[in-house]
Amino acid sequence: MSGISVQGVSKSFGDVQAVQAMDLEVAEGEFVSILGPSGCGKTTLLRMLAGLEFPTEGQISIGGQVVNDKSPADRDIAMVFQSYALYPHMTVAGNIEYPLKKRKVPKAEREERIRQAAAMLKLEDLLGRKPRELSGGQQQRVALGRAVVRDPAVFLMDEPLSNLDAKLRSHMRAELIQLHRRIGRTMIYVTHDQLEAMTMSDRIAIMHEGALQQLATPKEVYARPANAFVAGFIGMPPMNLVDAKLDGDGNLSVFGRQYRFVASDGPGHSGEQTVKVGFRPEDVVLRDDGEAARVAIVEPTGHEVIVVFEIDSARIVGRVSPELDLKADDQVRLAPRVERIHVFSGTDGDRLGGVHSEG
Amino acid sequence: MESSTRPAPKDTGLSPGTRSSMLGLMLIAPTVLVFCAVIVYPLISAIYLSLFSIYTPTMEGDWAGLSNYKVLIQSGEFWRSFGNNLVWTVGTLTLQIVFGILVALVLHQNLWFRSLARSLVLFPYFLSTVVAVLVWRWLFNDLYGVLNHFLMWTRIIDMPIDWLGTMPNAMISMILVGAWKYFPFVVIAVLARLQTIPDELYEAATIDGAGPVARFRDITLPQLREVLVVIILLRTIWDFKEFDLIYLLTGGGPVISTQTLPLMVYKEAFALNQMGSASAVAVMMMLFMLVFMFFYLRKAED
Ligand SMILES: Nc1ncnc2c1ncn2[C@@H]1O[C@H](COP(=O)(O)OP(=O)(O)O)[C@@H](O)[C@H]1O
Ligand SMILES: [Mg+2]
Repeated sequence: MSGISVQGVSKSFGDVQAVQAMDLEVAEGEFVSILGPSGCGKTTLLRMLAGLEFPTEGQISIGGQVVNDKSPADRDIAMVFQSYALYPHMTVAGNIEYPLKKRKVPKAEREERIRQAAAMLKLEDLLGRKPRELSGGQQQRVALGRAVVRDPAVFLMDEPLSNLDAKLRSHMRAELIQLHRRIGRTMIYVTHDQLEAMTMSDRIAIMHEGALQQLATPKEVYARPANAFVAGFIGMPPMNLVDAKLDGDGNLSVFGRQYRFVASDGPGHSGEQTVKVGFRPEDVVLRDDGEAARVAIVEPTGHEVIVVFEIDSARIVGRVSPELDLKADDQVRLAPRVERIHVFSGTDGDRLGGVHSEG
Repeated sequence: MESSTRPAPKDTGLSPGTRSSMLGLMLIAPTVLVFCAVIVYPLISAIYLSLFSIYTPTMEGDWAGLSNYKVLIQSGEFWRSFGNNLVWTVGTLTLQIVFGILVALVLHQNLWFRSLARSLVLFPYFLSTVVAVLVWRWLFNDLYGVLNHFLMWTRIIDMPIDWLGTMPNAMISMILVGAWKYFPFVVIAVLARLQTIPDELYEAATIDGAGPVARFRDITLPQLREVLVVIILLRTIWDFKEFDLIYLLTGGGPVISTQTLPLMVYKEAFALNQMGSASAVAVMMMLFMLVFMFFYLRKAED
């Protein structure tokens, strides 16, 4: 049992509330990403898991044991830092060996384990080098090697790929997924890059201003965002969010068109209220009975075209086929795909539900 | 393209490579001239003077060949001064380094009095040597010195101690005052380096299972290595040729018990009026330093 349980954990630095009443349950062997914009408290949460920072409130358990009072060394975790934090004066082998040495693993076993870790991460030819003689990607692998060699219950990683160039990053993503499959350990992976989170994770914890917004699978996070923040954060380009009116009978009017609100996957509604209606760029369809719109900006990306439409003063982003051959100032008619409309509260942004039909 | 915005170089019959190396020579010429004027000329004239038997007030004398050196090498005073010089340098430097690192480590912590302490610690270094030595001579004085008074008052001793007039007290006092005066240099240099060591290294080591002592040994010390090489090099040179502090504190006494080579140079040149033999001592000093630097830098490289 080496899952992680975070219960009501808060952390403040003076007036700054970095993490607020966080609850998080991670199962053994799960790969969970912590995703959010810069400054939302991801690193702080991870450092609390590592024991480098202490919660102002709440309880953290690893493997069923409360670790609040345990030192980082006694938590059976390994951490990969954004800067790699390799020991500059030690060789690659020395870096990987260090945690074993400090844990008094016998020499013969140390050597065997260094060999295994080096083989797994393709570091065999680099063992005698110093960190400064390595490229960024190689340093990254050494940092992983130093974590892997200990075979800890939990891996904590803080934006480990953010210092790599785009190509190497996508390569390392694949390597990390493989690594996780091979060793099957619990991994907590902090990132601000939704692509990394979406491609690698079993589940994603989305944070905003220190608070957990949603904890769900990548598919779920994309298909049913828990609130308007998640809706606007996930997706490239993000979901369109427009203000709309919902009357007491569940009639929703968007751009003058009527829809029936349905609370199938939300708490529902009570009485008349303003709401935010969301739909993704790929769910914008051009149809003759749609709303009149003007094409404002066209951004071809090759296999698809990102188009910014203007309806009155509102801007709607769509993702359409290049075959439509839209140009700026074209007049079109468009509407969101009905079954893909999300309805969020106009006040706190929480998900209320969807719509089920027009009219 | 470029020739339209820049006048074509005049055809001087020189290849572009030769022209640019001539420009290079012109650019370094001032530096070379100044270097020659302030370093090479005094150096050569010292070596030159050391080959004569010169009476200082007139600066005149006869060719003596290597006899100044011969006399030196056979003189007990020269080797005694050299020995004193070594004891003083090694002693005061060791204390400077040990104290300097300790104080730097303390000041690196997040203490509330940190910024005040950082300025205070520089005080001895800023203080003019004359003032510092006068204060210390007053503290050390065997008749009315505060140090003896305090030690007797606390009954640690029951007779006043002659701090500067007997051995080995004089040498110990001198080493201590030297350490006090110059350890701030080590503090500042080490502290500057400490502040550039990333916290993550310590955090990674903590997670890897290193305690405070292991973190100091495995992270801090190796990171300080390079700056310590420089500190030791500089301070060895400066301490080895220290003159004013020793001259003012003990004057080399009792007799010649704390006389170092720079004091001997001074004595030969201005008390005994033997500029030639003074120059010979100075040249020997320089040779010692060169040998030290040669071995030290070679060792520090690997
Ligand atoms: N040691 C600290 N002292 C004061 N404020 C901090 C400290 N660490 C983080 N913070 C603040 O806490 C908030 C969250 O920071 P962080 O966890 O680093 O965010 P993220 O990793 O998501 O970018 C930020 O507002 C940051 O300024
Ligand atoms: Mg961060």
